[in-house]
Amino acid sequence: MGSDRPPSASLTNRPLGRSHFGGKIVAPVALLAALLIVPPAAGAEDQAIDFSRDVRPILNKYCTSCHGGVKQAGDVSFVHANQVLPPEGWVVEPGDAEASLLIERIKTEDPDERMPPPDEHPDPLSAEEIAVLERWINQGAAWSNSWALEPLRKADAEGTSAGTESPSIDRYVREKWSGHELQGSPAAPPQQWLRRASLDLIGLPPTLEQTRAFVDSVAQASSEQQRDAIYATKVDELLASNHFGERWASVWMDLARYADSKGFEKDPHRDMWPYRDWLIRAFNADMPYDEFTVKQLAGDLLPDATAADIIATAFHRNTQTNTEGGTDDEEFRVAAIVDRVNTTWTVWQATTMGCVQCHSHPYDAIKNEEFYVSMALFDNSLDADLPDDYPFIKVPSSEADLEQAVAAQRTLDELRLQRNQIGYQQANAVTWTPIQADSAASSSGRLKVVEDTVRVAGGTYPIGVQYTVEASAQTMTGLRIEIFPEFDDPLKLPAHGAVLSHLQVHLVDKDGQATAVELADVFADSISGASQPRDALNDSSGGVGEYPKLNAVRTACFVLKTAVEPKPGDRLRLTMAQKESTAGSLATPIRKFRWSVSDDAALIELENNSELETIDARLKNVQDEVAKIQGAALPVIQSRPDDAKRLTRRFVRGNWMERGELVQPDVPQMFRSSESGDRIQDRLQFASWLVSKENPLTARVWANRIWSQLFGSGLVVTLEDFGSSGQQPTHRELLDFLAYRLREDHRWHLKPFLKEVVLSATYRQTNHASPQHQANDPANRWLARGPRTRLTAEMVRDQALTASGLLSPAIGGPSVMPPQPDGIWQTVYSGSTWETATDDKRYRRALYTYWRRTSPYPSFLTFDSPTRDLCVARRIATNTPLQALVTLNDPVYVECAAALADRAIEQHPQSIDQAIGWMYQTVLGLEADADDANELRSLYNDLGAASPLADSESSDQQPHPEDASEATLDRQAMAIVASTILNLDLALTK
Amino acid sequence: MTRHEFSIEHALTEFSTRRHFLQNGSLGLAGLWMGSMAGNRSVLGSEETVAHALQQPHFAPRAKRVIFLHMAGGPSPLELFDYKPELQKLDGKDCPESFLEGKRFAFIQGVPKMLGPQFPFQQCGDSGAWVSDRLPHFQSVVDKVCFVKSMHTSQFNHGPAQLLLHTGNQNLGAASFGAWATYGLGSESENLPGFIVLVSGGKTPSAGKSVWGSGFLPSMYQGVQCRSAGDPVLYLSNPDGVSRQQRRRALDALQRLNQKTFQQTGDPEVLTRISQYEMAFRMQTSATDAFDLAKETAETHEEYGTEPGKESFANNCLLARRLAERGVRFIQLFHWGWDSHGAGAAEALNNGFSDRCREVDRPMTALLADLERRGLLEDTLVIWGGEFGRTPMRENRGGKEMQLIGRDHNPGAFTMWIAGGGIRPGMTYGASDEMGYEAVENPVSAHDLHATLLHTLGIDHKRLTYFYQGLHQRLSNVTQPSRVIEEILV
Repeated sequence: MGSDRPPSASLTNRPLGRSHFGGKIVAPVALLAALLIVPPAAGAEDQAIDFSRDVRPILNKYCTSCHGGVKQAGDVSFVHANQVLPPEGWVVEPGDAEASLLIERIKTEDPDERMPPPDEHPDPLSAEEIAVLERWINQGAAWSNSWALEPLRKADAEGTSAGTESPSIDRYVREKWSGHELQGSPAAPPQQWLRRASLDLIGLPPTLEQTRAFVDSVAQASSEQQRDAIYATKVDELLASNHFGERWASVWMDLARYADSKGFEKDPHRDMWPYRDWLIRAFNADMPYDEFTVKQLAGDLLPDATAADIIATAFHRNTQTNTEGGTDDEEFRVAAIVDRVNTTWTVWQATTMGCVQCHSHPYDAIKNEEFYVSMALFDNSLDADLPDDYPFIKVPSSEADLEQAVAAQRTLDELRLQRNQIGYQQANAVTWTPIQADSAASSSGRLKVVEDTVRVAGGTYPIGVQYTVEASAQTMTGLRIEIFPEFDDPLKLPAHGAVLSHLQVHLVDKDGQATAVELADVFADSISGASQPRDALNDSSGGVGEYPKLNAVRTACFVLKTAVEPKPGDRLRLTMAQKESTAGSLATPIRKFRWSVSDDAALIELENNSELETIDARLKNVQDEVAKIQGAALPVIQSRPDDAKRLTRRFVRGNWMERGELVQPDVPQMFRSSESGDRIQDRLQFASWLVSKENPLTARVWANRIWSQLFGSGLVVTLEDFGSSGQQPTHRELLDFLAYRLREDHRWHLKPFLKEVVLSATYRQTNHASPQHQANDPANRWLARGPRTRLTAEMVRDQALTASGLLSPAIGGPSVMPPQPDGIWQTVYSGSTWETATDDKRYRRALYTYWRRTSPYPSFLTFDSPTRDLCVARRIATNTPLQALVTLNDPVYVECAAALADRAIEQHPQSIDQAIGWMYQTVLGLEADADDANELRSLYNDLGAASPLADSESSDQQPHPEDASEATLDRQAMAIVASTILNLDLALTK
Repeated sequence: MTRHEFSIEHALTEFSTRRHFLQNGSLGLAGLWMGSMAGNRSVLGSEETVAHALQQPHFAPRAKRVIFLHMAGGPSPLELFDYKPELQKLDGKDCPESFLEGKRFAFIQGVPKMLGPQFPFQQCGDSGAWVSDRLPHFQSVVDKVCFVKSMHTSQFNHGPAQLLLHTGNQNLGAASFGAWATYGLGSESENLPGFIVLVSGGKTPSAGKSVWGSGFLPSMYQGVQCRSAGDPVLYLSNPDGVSRQQRRRALDALQRLNQKTFQQTGDPEVLTRISQYEMAFRMQTSATDAFDLAKETAETHEEYGTEPGKESFANNCLLARRLAERGVRFIQLFHWGWDSHGAGAAEALNNGFSDRCREVDRPMTALLADLERRGLLEDTLVIWGGEFGRTPMRENRGGKEMQLIGRDHNPGAFTMWIAGGGIRPGMTYGASDEMGYEAVENPVSAHDLHATLLHTLGIDHKRLTYFYQGLHQRLSNVTQPSRVIEEILV
């Protein structure tokens, strides 16, 4: 695998590639490891070939670019079994490699025949690869699912190469060592393990006192069991810490693309933090992953949803809202929905669904239309890229008021829908007769009457445009408007928004005298926005129709206060004001409409309908209650009501403006097991399916993600892609064991799962690499030593704050603005400013830092935080000089170093050495050995001498006193020593 | 797919170098490293490499570096380079229906009026290129540039259009041109970032920092935004009270301590970290020096119209030349305020537009002349343009006649100019229709532009790829056709 040349042939002095800063592209060490992975199939002749492990990678490498999901040259696709194997396929004869066209074409010497074609692919298959294919065919050409879709099974104690040893992390890890000429490492010193475990579990390093106490108790342990018990107790302590939730929330926030702003041009503020706090609580409470999943994807659909369940749905409101003037709200609504599909499939299924938006998956058996099937699950939400992020809920600042406040808002929503539904059903049930208008005029632009409809006929219809429609008056108790899309072709929907903001009705007598007709009420066929049908009776811009887009014909019934009995010759005049507009000052005039009248007395009686009266009374109370709620406005997911359901169509070639056939919600067939049942029809069913036993991928993906947090890389390196284009697992049995343990034995609880991992001998190994390790496994893929990884951006900050004693322990609340350089926030057309905190909000943990998408906190970006524009499943740790500048010079770190130095001087005012030793141990959890202590002491001495102050102040003093009084301790030199310690490689890694 | 070119040897070579480094125990090579991806990188199936730069260009490059002058907001070609006498004749008349059918606009609604060119044009230089009176200095250098008058885009809003122009994709998440260039070629500078961004007045463009982001590429390829006032690179200066000697002394200690850590852990990332700290130390002087405009002569300041200490496009142009001299691979300038809707005076054609022209005219002219004098223009690509053009119709926001004069966004046609680095000077390529509404002759998309510009850098746009989301991603885009515009190459 890998290069066609043996690796050793390449160890020559080739010209070096150059990277960003003029240096060399640094070796992705993992690549070397990849070279070392030898396919098991390359071994014995009779070894069973596993299609997914051995064959599929070869097909993907050589064949699928032409014979795949996108291109299917000669109608052959190696993505679908039926295009390869009989009866439909013709390129493989199971059991007979000799007779298989596949082998013939690969082995032929004829350049016109050979596959892959020599002109495009100069490198043919290697002899080993051909042998694998031949053996696969001779063994019967068994086709299988991707390994990741195989059902999860309980691991066996027997029947494995390790004999009867019961399955465990350590067993599976150990099994791989001999094949790679590796031996495991001794246990890490207790302080190394504690630092690693503490940063991994709670994102904070242990304090000096914690380290000392732990090391002492381990030293005093009289037996191995006792020592293990001490480790276990320590883990329990860490897992019980309230900081646990903060650490794991910050992991999830990359996936959720959490930000405190809406994104795009002005990138305005958005109250998103209640969702972040929900995450912290969920992790602290060790909410099982199935619940955690269902609440975020479909909390609103749960029976008896709690306030927290509604807050959880904000997960998918982290998509961006484009408030740039003149943007098409439908375009960005669709972009948000597409993002939700891609994010969901990346987060839970490590599947690159984005590929399928435009064409069938190039490597996996997912068809193009299945993207839209999946999209239909998310398409029916109320949000529509509106600048106010509608729909949102107010989250009161007081926890005690939360449940009641959210319930009131939900009730208000239900009542207004209920009221409208009752009224509309009755109003629409009467007989309506279309009006034949005899004139239709507009304050701007032209109208024309076509049979019983009125349509726009050219010109400009600005915001506030007013139509006047006249017809001969007749007896009436109500008026009904049907608002049509301007075109008949349903493929073109949705149409421009069309809102009747204010209707006025007059009777005009023969002398031109107009008398207003009083309107009592309005009911619409559906409500899909913030405004009420009754808004069409007042001067507000809201009303009836649909905004920002017209998804279907919309109907509204206006009920008169009293029946109108016109005099002969009276005319009916309808004055229709249209004041609504989208973010770009784009008017939403009605392009085509029809008025009807009814004379049914039932309409008049609606005003005395007791059911409506009851609702109205309740509405009034709830409205008053809701109006008083103060707090964050958190965008949430809410489905459109059934009467306004969106129809989802396929986009032709992924282009949202070109719509194809209607699709019904479901998931791609590839992910359903053959025995699985009904179509998955809504988000709740979908979320439940994700975490059901039918879905093995969810547990594998989550277990792998957790593993990668602890070991720096996943057992499947491509956390974001478990498909054919991703990497194969290094330890498939281990991953399956972990996934099964997580789901079945730990019942989706993260804490006991983490406990098992961090207490494993694998994790407890020292991270020092012996020459053998360095040579045979430079990237530590085989885990014959403990993990050694760089701190995350968040940990770098949090560690400095912890060591310096500045860290604010507060948990949750609105995001904060610690110092950042001036002039970072200068976004066009936006007046938002960064107001640097001066109180303890300056020292909050990293995850509380205000995250503005177009201008994220610069030092975090430097340490590889994603921008959170989109879901990022894997951060790639880099190592750059800009990182050095951050931890050396960023005022945040300068302040931390100074505070650390001050603490040290306070603790050890009499001894420079002790003060330095204390700082070293505080940051690293290690006692400095003599060399390190001397190095830092001599640094301190030289700094003092080099200090600008040195000449004037200390020239007469003894230059390097062994002990010093507080007065002579040089705070500034000590701060530089502190900064040096914070910049040690040991400090930046765990 | 010639994936084997992007070879695994890089990894191996690097590894051997590290070994070498270790054996010598010397830090002499330290500066050669600039970025490392710790841990693990994606590998397709089991064989595909990712973290490759090109060992050498695919073919001999004509350009070694790029200076991209982006005019955010979409400057009106109809008032600058794309002279349309026919449009003048229709000035004030209703826009024909045929111009409106099937079109989406940001602000125009209903039936707007046509708007003729607002400023007089004249033909300049030997090439006879048309330039309006708004750019009197630039009129003198038209023979150095190639005008592409048939640019077009699929996006009619700023954010998406800027993303498309700079990353090849209108959606967020793709890598910027500069990131691709440094990913492919690295930098020639050992002491400065390879991709530097300068923004007039510090204003981030509509699409945010993603226009110079690394997208799916590792973060070390993202553009480094530098400032012409204050620290040029964030956190460049030592903290108050820490002298350079003290910093040197502290880094010596840090290096020795880290060296010991390396010996104990055997983790090669430690060596990389040591070298990065050394590089950071050197960058402190080299970046400070590069950004010190006071070192330029009075004549140069006069020529560019620069005022040291001010954040201006002029200063940024002069900085661009200084950075180009120092081997920075990709220098991206953003100027803003070109969104001439007529909704506000600062951006209206009959008001702020002239200020914008004044702000860029002298410095961009000086930059071309200065680069040429110093022999840098021949291997430096200079690109000028916005994210889209502007409508030949007058904007009627809200469906009403506006007080000021402006034009709406027009994705159909716009003008960019390119100079130096293997681009044929003194020519015009492509044309828009008589109204300047649509590119009709030799249309050029952002992807074509990317393919062409990569070509001048010696890169085959189809062969510089990065595997992400199941696709070999590339700047010139994988789903839509793109071509190298051979006609504008020398």
